[in-house]
Amino acid sequence: MSTDGAAIIVAPTRVGRRSRRRVPIPIVLALLFLAVVVFLAFFGSAVAPINPKTQNLNASQLNPSSHFWLGTDLLGRDIFSRVLVGSRTAMLGPIIVALGAMLIGNTFGLIAGYRGGAADTVVMRAVDLMYALPPLLIAIVVGGIVGGGYWAAVAILVVLFSPYDARLIRGATLEQRDRPYVEAARTLGLPTRRIMVRHVWPNLLPLVVANTFLNFAFALVTLAGLSFIGIGVPPGTPDWGQMLADSRTLIFTNPWAALGPGGALVLTAVSMNLVGDWIYELLSDRGRLR
Amino acid sequence: MTEPLLEIDGLRIESRAGNEPRTIVGDMSLRLAAGETIGIVGESGSGKSMTARAVLGLLPPGLVASGTVAYQGRQILELPEGRLRQIRGGEISLVLQDPFTMLNPLRRCGRHVVELLRDETGGRLSRAARRTEAVRRLAEVGIDDPGVVDRYPFQLSGGMRQRVGLAAALARDPRVLIADEPSTALDVTTQKEILALLKRLQAARGMGVVLITHDLRVAFENCDRIYVLYAGALVEVGPSVDVEAQPLHPYTLGLLLSEPPLDHKVLELPSIPGSVPRHEQVADRCVFSTRCPWVEDICTAAPPPLLAAAPGRASACVRLGEIRSEITARRATRVAPAPLLARPPSAVPLISARDVAKRFGSVVALDGVSMELGEGESVGIVGESGSGKTTLARCLLGLERPDDGEIVVAGIRAENIAALDTATRRRLRQAIQIVFQDPYSSLNPVRTIGAALGEALAVAGRPASGVGALLNQVGLPAEYQARKPAALSGGERQRVAIARAIAVQPKVIVCDEPVSALDVSVQAQILNLLARLRDQLGLSYVFITHDLAVARQATDRVYVLYRGELVESGPVDDVLDRPAHAYTRRLVESVPGAPKARLAEAAEQLTMEGGS
Amino acid sequence: MQPSLKLSSVADLFGTQSQSSRRPTSSWLNPARGALLFAAKRLLGLAAVLLVISFGTFSLLTIAPGDPAQLLLGTRQQSPAVIHAVRHEYHLDRPFLVQYGIWLQHAVHFDFGRSIRTQDPVWSDISSRLGLSLFLGIYATLITVLVGVPLGVVAAVRQRKLVDRGVVALSVVGVSTPAFASGVAFLYLFAVRFGWFPVFGAGNGVVGRLYHLALPAVALSLTVMALVLKLTRAAVIGALEQDYIVFARARGLSERAVLSAYALRNAAIPIVTAAGAVLGALIAGAVLVEVAFTLPGTGSLLVESVEAKDVPMVQGLTATIAVVIVAVNLLTDLAYLALDPRMRFGVGAA
Repeated sequence: MSTDGAAIIVAPTRVGRRSRRRVPIPIVLALLFLAVVVFLAFFGSAVAPINPKTQNLNASQLNPSSHFWLGTDLLGRDIFSRVLVGSRTAMLGPIIVALGAMLIGNTFGLIAGYRGGAADTVVMRAVDLMYALPPLLIAIVVGGIVGGGYWAAVAILVVLFSPYDARLIRGATLEQRDRPYVEAARTLGLPTRRIMVRHVWPNLLPLVVANTFLNFAFALVTLAGLSFIGIGVPPGTPDWGQMLADSRTLIFTNPWAALGPGGALVLTAVSMNLVGDWIYELLSDRGRLR
Repeated sequence: MTEPLLEIDGLRIESRAGNEPRTIVGDMSLRLAAGETIGIVGESGSGKSMTARAVLGLLPPGLVASGTVAYQGRQILELPEGRLRQIRGGEISLVLQDPFTMLNPLRRCGRHVVELLRDETGGRLSRAARRTEAVRRLAEVGIDDPGVVDRYPFQLSGGMRQRVGLAAALARDPRVLIADEPSTALDVTTQKEILALLKRLQAARGMGVVLITHDLRVAFENCDRIYVLYAGALVEVGPSVDVEAQPLHPYTLGLLLSEPPLDHKVLELPSIPGSVPRHEQVADRCVFSTRCPWVEDICTAAPPPLLAAAPGRASACVRLGEIRSEITARRATRVAPAPLLARPPSAVPLISARDVAKRFGSVVALDGVSMELGEGESVGIVGESGSGKTTLARCLLGLERPDDGEIVVAGIRAENIAALDTATRRRLRQAIQIVFQDPYSSLNPVRTIGAALGEALAVAGRPASGVGALLNQVGLPAEYQARKPAALSGGERQRVAIARAIAVQPKVIVCDEPVSALDVSVQAQILNLLARLRDQLGLSYVFITHDLAVARQATDRVYVLYRGELVESGPVDDVLDRPAHAYTRRLVESVPGAPKARLAEAAEQLTMEGGS
Repeated sequence: MQPSLKLSSVADLFGTQSQSSRRPTSSWLNPARGALLFAAKRLLGLAAVLLVISFGTFSLLTIAPGDPAQLLLGTRQQSPAVIHAVRHEYHLDRPFLVQYGIWLQHAVHFDFGRSIRTQDPVWSDISSRLGLSLFLGIYATLITVLVGVPLGVVAAVRQRKLVDRGVVALSVVGVSTPAFASGVAFLYLFAVRFGWFPVFGAGNGVVGRLYHLALPAVALSLTVMALVLKLTRAAVIGALEQDYIVFARARGLSERAVLSAYALRNAAIPIVTAAGAVLGALIAGAVLVEVAFTLPGTGSLLVESVEAKDVPMVQGLTATIAVVIVAVNLLTDLAYLALDPRMRFGVGAA
């Protein structure tokens, strides 16, 4: 039983024995929803009924109607279309953060766990530091002061998420490192890199994949939080976080202005989390990583 | 006849969880009277531990028990939790196998022992009374230091923790004690103490004891009657003296024969081919029919009932009448003793280790140990936990770097592997390989057998097409290369591990307790395999073991380690028959079923028979 | 596993009961000394962390785009003489490390200079708003702990039943619903639609505060509670799977005692070690909630200051927050020490 509480928080949840044959209904729904969002991220602007950028000050702050399905915002833009197109910033940035953090985190975590030494010290100190300041705060401060918009925020988050990943992978690597099959590989004289990559890492795959999904969800929520307070995407971009911020002025008249982007955000994050946990169960049950 | 304390009849334990229903125990019955010790003997997968849990209603979620369990005549299987809780600990108690996980690490030892004690009115005892009781009860289990009451489990050794566990289990003075492998996780010297303690406690308290074990020798030495379980079904019941002298079931015979004898070396150990099946696979027939040398159609037609075969004895062999005499004959056969191999001492030893020392922090693992391995020899390193034997092995392999001393393997200086150049290092790695103890984690779970072996072959520059032949060499079919380790049994995995070790054609293989995690019936197969390969391939072994019987069978010379020091060495027969050092003597005496008298007698018999 | 105290984070200490540690810890220190040593090492580590953070905070001025002196003057254009004066006053002409030294000296006395926006001393602005944020934070923490921990325990005990599935679902939703989203949702539902709670303002007096801050506190606690739920549930499940639970039941211990003295007590360790991480999530969420509900706390102050590039204020706020988090981390380390006797004896939990 691990006493590392912080690692428990970032790790996928184990719900217990699920029937492996059938995919549970919530997962099916989640996968479908994600497919839709991914599709929209690519083709949203083609599918959207009204051009999300078109401003029409005459049509400002309208309630939902058959023309504007969710109403319009302060500048007369169609909220529904903006929600659809907002999936782009909801997908792109978080994917890069998740993959980037995974790449860096895995590399450092593997090396730190397997070899110890300098890499290990770096990882542990970095995580100590990260635990002292939450990523969102650092992103706000650095992103706000230094500026740079959306991609700067993405880059900052990649750097800030990596230590958590590295820590998780380091722990898992440590567990594997002393197992006899790894020592047998060492006795055979196989090069260290080969052992790390071809022997140890494949056993970490369930954790890595599941963690990438969870990272995505967290990155999505964090980036949206940044754009909510005005850091990240430039004003005017269809972005769920920013739209939520804008919706506050409309709160007395049109709750859909909040529900649209808010709901999309929450549903996407929930789907990612569900799929991540489920994948972890699925892959671990096959006899890997016990 | 006195009413039995505990009576189990037709107990069946099934797993309802998940898609596949599994049967853990098909049909179990037993009878325990006060003052008796009965043993439930079985290998892994026999269902013996679950039987213990079922009695107390402590089966893990998903497992369901049916049948009858009666304590002092009362049915207890279907009791509600409240009533069951009164019985647990108060009437029937259970001691678990692993002393390192059995106790709550955050609770002091004294608390474990007295936390359930109540005075006559049912209230809690006063602080002073609790303390007195704790000290008294710990003394009862042989812990005389009253300071232990305030210590935490992690401050105690395994043996001490087991004693504390015993004291806690006996706190409410139960009439029945179920001991689930109470000594398996301990060293053999501690094991003997704990088992002796159990006997004392039983006599003093007049309890009935159920001893669950996989070790036949332990059962014979400590139990009055034994029940032999195989694949979830009872196959034989009887007084241990009788069962040992004359087994009435082919499985029991097989078990007895495949135990490596402690007192003499044999050419080849009799073994039971195959491995233990799951109960569902053999539920419609005799459970042992898949591996029995006497199997006939009648055995596979229906599950044979457990019938009385002699007064106080029962057997589930349907062919017993016909084969009884054959069984008796086999039991009496003395397996051909191995001739003393006069191996000429080689000029240059294959391995030479001098004054090797290693510490971990403040713990001294090795304190100036020297050893040698000649070409074609099998040398044993014998000791208990903490003796340093594993550390020594790891130093020989280059997995650990000794703080001091010199190690030469196949002419290469091996104590500082990092300092060698690549070519030399590669030569060293190919000269010496290892087979690990735990077959379940010594193979990479995500790689196929073929991939793992192919990689090993590649290291030696041999083509991957040789995987099939390699598998055949260790007694496995070539088709196994497509499988993953999870599909293989423990014995099969160990064979693959051996195949991996010989793939690079080494000169020396370090066998680190290669059979201690295996069932006895499989143990013999692996030992035979290792002996055969040694002859065929001209290998030399460094054999690490805590089991003296295995050492007797598998080694020519032996080194005895104690707390990091070498206390004795010499030809294995000499050391085991006439131990010079006090520790070695203690070690030999602690092996169950090997009292000094027996040893001396065996030695005498051998000399009488004209040499071995 | 050798017993050794390494300068490492508390959350580092894996507690796997390994079979390899059969040797009794022969060199354990006197428990009091062990505890002191542990605390001292942690203190040192945390001080180092603070130092690094302070260095980073200080460098903000330097890495901000534009001339630092100009930045400090705000958006107004000034004559070169004034710029020169400011440069001298803020020691911008001295070497970097010297500047850092001077800044650090002042910082330790809570003197972070003046805010560029309000021209008031940074610390007075912060301290005037700190009370509200602390109130919100404690409010949310209480809700989280009083609801989250028991729910997590119940879910673990009734694993795979309806309660457990519900709790896990709640936890997934909570983690996916950022505090500002739930904040806006609550704002709409309970303030605008039902009118049960006020839309604006922070209220006066304790009761007023409790009423006004109820919605923000609940919104904030939702996200954090998700983490606490997940953590508690996993920790209790982990504890219940251990052998000592079976042994305790086998001896006749009541379910209540098994749960409290054995399971919960052991589960408390991983829960406590995560307190630092949970706190981080709380503070991040608090910033968003304050903006969402337009509460005049330190969180919204941070956002405003960042937008206005009010570097001294940002420095002061960052430093304050870092100190708070580090202090809480230290407390949890001490709590860990109290909870786990293995720590006191200088053994890595093994």
